[in-house]
Amino acid sequence: MTALPATRSAVPAPRRRWGSTGIRRRLAPYVFVLPFVAVFLAFSVYPLIFTARLSFTNWRGTGAAEWVGWGNYTYLLTSPGFWQSLGNSAVLWLLIVPIQLAVGVVIAVLLNSAKLRMRGVYRVAFIVPFVTPLVAVAQIWVVLFDQKYGAVNAFLGLFGLPDIGWLTTSEWAKPTLALLFLWKTTGFIVIILLSGLQSIDGNLYEAAALDGASRTRQLWSITVPLLRRTILFAVVLQTLAVFQMFAEPFVVTQGGPYNSTTTAGYYLYNHITRADLGTGAANSFLLVILVMALSLLFVRLLRAKD
Amino acid sequence: MSATITPTPPDELVERADTGSEGEPRRRRGRGAGLHIGSHAFLGVLLVAFLAPVVWAVLSAFKPANDIIRSPLAFDVGAFTLDNYISMFEDVPIAHGFLNTGIVLVFKGAITLFFAPLAAYAFAKYSFPGKNLIFGTVLLTLMLPTIVLIIPLLLEMKTLGWVNTYQALILPGSVDAFAIFWMRQVIAAVPDELLDAARMDGCGEFGIFWRVIVPVIRPGLAGLAVLTIMNIYNDFVWPVVIASSERMATLQVVLSTLAQNITGNRIGADYATVTGELLAASSVALIPLLVLFIVLQRHFINGILAGSVKG
Repeated sequence: MTALPATRSAVPAPRRRWGSTGIRRRLAPYVFVLPFVAVFLAFSVYPLIFTARLSFTNWRGTGAAEWVGWGNYTYLLTSPGFWQSLGNSAVLWLLIVPIQLAVGVVIAVLLNSAKLRMRGVYRVAFIVPFVTPLVAVAQIWVVLFDQKYGAVNAFLGLFGLPDIGWLTTSEWAKPTLALLFLWKTTGFIVIILLSGLQSIDGNLYEAAALDGASRTRQLWSITVPLLRRTILFAVVLQTLAVFQMFAEPFVVTQGGPYNSTTTAGYYLYNHITRADLGTGAANSFLLVILVMALSLLFVRLLRAKD
Repeated sequence: MSATITPTPPDELVERADTGSEGEPRRRRGRGAGLHIGSHAFLGVLLVAFLAPVVWAVLSAFKPANDIIRSPLAFDVGAFTLDNYISMFEDVPIAHGFLNTGIVLVFKGAITLFFAPLAAYAFAKYSFPGKNLIFGTVLLTLMLPTIVLIIPLLLEMKTLGWVNTYQALILPGSVDAFAIFWMRQVIAAVPDELLDAARMDGCGEFGIFWRVIVPVIRPGLAGLAVLTIMNIYNDFVWPVVIASSERMATLQVVLSTLAQNITGNRIGADYATVTGELLAASSVALIPLLVLFIVLQRHFINGILAGSVKG
């Protein structure tokens, strides 16, 4: 018996105490998950249930909570501010996701080619922004894009272009924020796309090259279709990130000018600062529902084409 | 959606990338040359765009404060000075911010790196009643945006009297659901024969984890470590809500107060001085992670890639 390669069910413990090892073995997993479960119940599950209840009250952090039923939800769904915040996030999505995926695919394909020199240098450079602390970068953005003293306007001035109120006008604030987001996260998307590219069979390209397909043709006929799952995965990730975006507007624009950068995530924070906790809780859930619906939509798209 | 991609192949990616620049030499130079120039031009422009803000900030922090705003594009190395750093360290409690971030990093990091793989080990290698229920809940919370929890967590901290304390910065999220999800995948790949052999040698259940699992999954743990360090170091939303007092502010919270100064809230400080201090502070905050990233590139890429499933 001792010589058999043990399967999981028949583990011989020849040396000692059958009973106690058996009990220990049955208890062990509970002991192992206990610290996690404790933290998880205290700081995830309990708060979640609490938010759900809170969203049906008008509690302002002190005093007695009054049950208002669906009141917070109907208030939000009929409030222009809520819809404006979703609209702002939708515009940011349009400014970010299509550009990021297009540029990301091109960068990833170029970096994936074994013939490219200095690949390591490029790869490191593109990931640097993702590693830097957002707050530090956001501050640098504030200085760089200052209308009067900023380096960006100084640079554009060299070409005779007029000063732009990047952070002070409602038409430019969103693009400036989108630029920060693009700068910060495109390297991350490139890593994801690169990992997808690694799984494409190189022989396909050789066969296509033999058939006389150009590089551009190969990109459209082989790379993009085979990378579709990875691309959609990246789209889902970035959709979640854009709709939850909070720290960027918090540091760079404080939601202004004229609420033009009050994203869905920032609007939620506004309720907290006003101690309007019930509405804030309802807003979180509406945001969760929206984000989940969008993810499901993208997953559907992914399935439909398979 | 976490199942749509398996985040494992980056090792290969790093390997190939490192050898590739020299390994596969100049066949087909002639035909691809035009394309190469085009590729390098495209990548080169992006490279400059990606590095410029950081380089500009780090260099500008050495300029006299007035020059930063008077001529933002000029760099006169001869006039470089440490004035911005000196006044920043005097005016801003940044050293204290580093201290707080360091304390949180050590404790929260240790908790994550020990308890997450331990729980993941139970999920991967044992079957026990309640396992599926617990793990199902873990998966569910992976999909929730973190902002949902901010309000109730803040209230919970108020009830516990934990506002502006280290435990409030350390405990919530310390045994992260994502870390468990990832480590479960890593540990599931360890062959059962290895565990059984250890058991035959009289190894206890925890001994198997500590002496067999941990050494085997070291690369995965390294990835988790850098991702955890990066997340804790850069974390901002929760600290700004829960630890806004000067005594408890983490590095990122200290930094964020500088931006408010720039909009003119700090009385008596002129724009140039604040800008200089801000760039000095941002540079100081950037550098530790950048150095770590350059040293541990491969683990960073592994961690970032695996972390992408978090959603």
